[in-house]
Amino acid sequence: MGISRKAFEEQVLALLGSLNGVARRLTANPTDAEDLVAETVARAWRALDSLESEAAFRAWIFRILHNTFVSELRRAGARPRLESLECDEADEEEVPFSIFEQMHQPFLLWFSNPEQAFVDKLLRQDLDRALASLPDCHRVVVILSDLEGMSYGEIAETLGIPVGTVRSRLARARGALQKILWQQAREYGLPASRQGREGSKDTPRQATADARVREEKGSIR
Amino acid sequence: MTKHEIECEQALRQIFEYIDHELDDTERTAMEHHLHTCHSCYSRVEFERRLKVKLGELKKDDVDPTVRERIKRMLESF
Repeated sequence: MGISRKAFEEQVLALLGSLNGVARRLTANPTDAEDLVAETVARAWRALDSLESEAAFRAWIFRILHNTFVSELRRAGARPRLESLECDEADEEEVPFSIFEQMHQPFLLWFSNPEQAFVDKLLRQDLDRALASLPDCHRVVVILSDLEGMSYGEIAETLGIPVGTVRSRLARARGALQKILWQQAREYGLPASRQGREGSKDTPRQATADARVREEKGSIR
Repeated sequence: MTKHEIECEQALRQIFEYIDHELDDTERTAMEHHLHTCHSCYSRVEFERRLKVKLGELKKDDVDPTVRERIKRMLESF
């Protein structure tokens, strides 16, 4: 079907921030990201006839961006990154890690919510660092869902995988992200919430109080 | 149990689909009915929703002017 040249230009410029943002998170390098976006736009223009409708434009161009990124990695022989893009779901935990499960204490419901306080005190750099630590196959689904606001159908179309795989991969990716955030918090000083859990003797209130002190110093670290 | 009633186990399985607006009307109604009666699942949903919002705040839409100019020139050349 395709769309008019004017509509193509408008769509590309409207999505340029998102394309560039995702490219930066994939490549972790502003120059490579710029080249990836430029190559994506060039390929999209050449493949315009494959666009089924204007409504499908976002998933269509993000699929081209993702495929371009993968083909660039193949060309560069970047095997570890390519392997990181392919989730081996058989090796992953059946029940994804949950910070909520670690911190939630029902008897405290009416007094405080340590798990909510944990999230509220997370800083941008804490989340950026955790997101960057995820394997590529997990990072991509979190970026497309939580940063770009894509539906499961759009993510499936972008990555060329079934919707059911998006659902399970996203759940595992969020679990993996929470595990990294939890480990970061422990590494940088936020204690575990429950007495006796992995050696911590701190209570949730102590954990929250400690986090508040660190926040006053400017960081959760 | 009516069609609007679900247990915690099912609610926990559907939490991400709920916060991602991926449940159909019947599933969403059943989930919300459960959340009205189960404080623990409600707290879990609130936690996951807050974390999703925090991640959404990482999105940056600003593009370096040189990148925008490069793409504009490319579009004009097509």
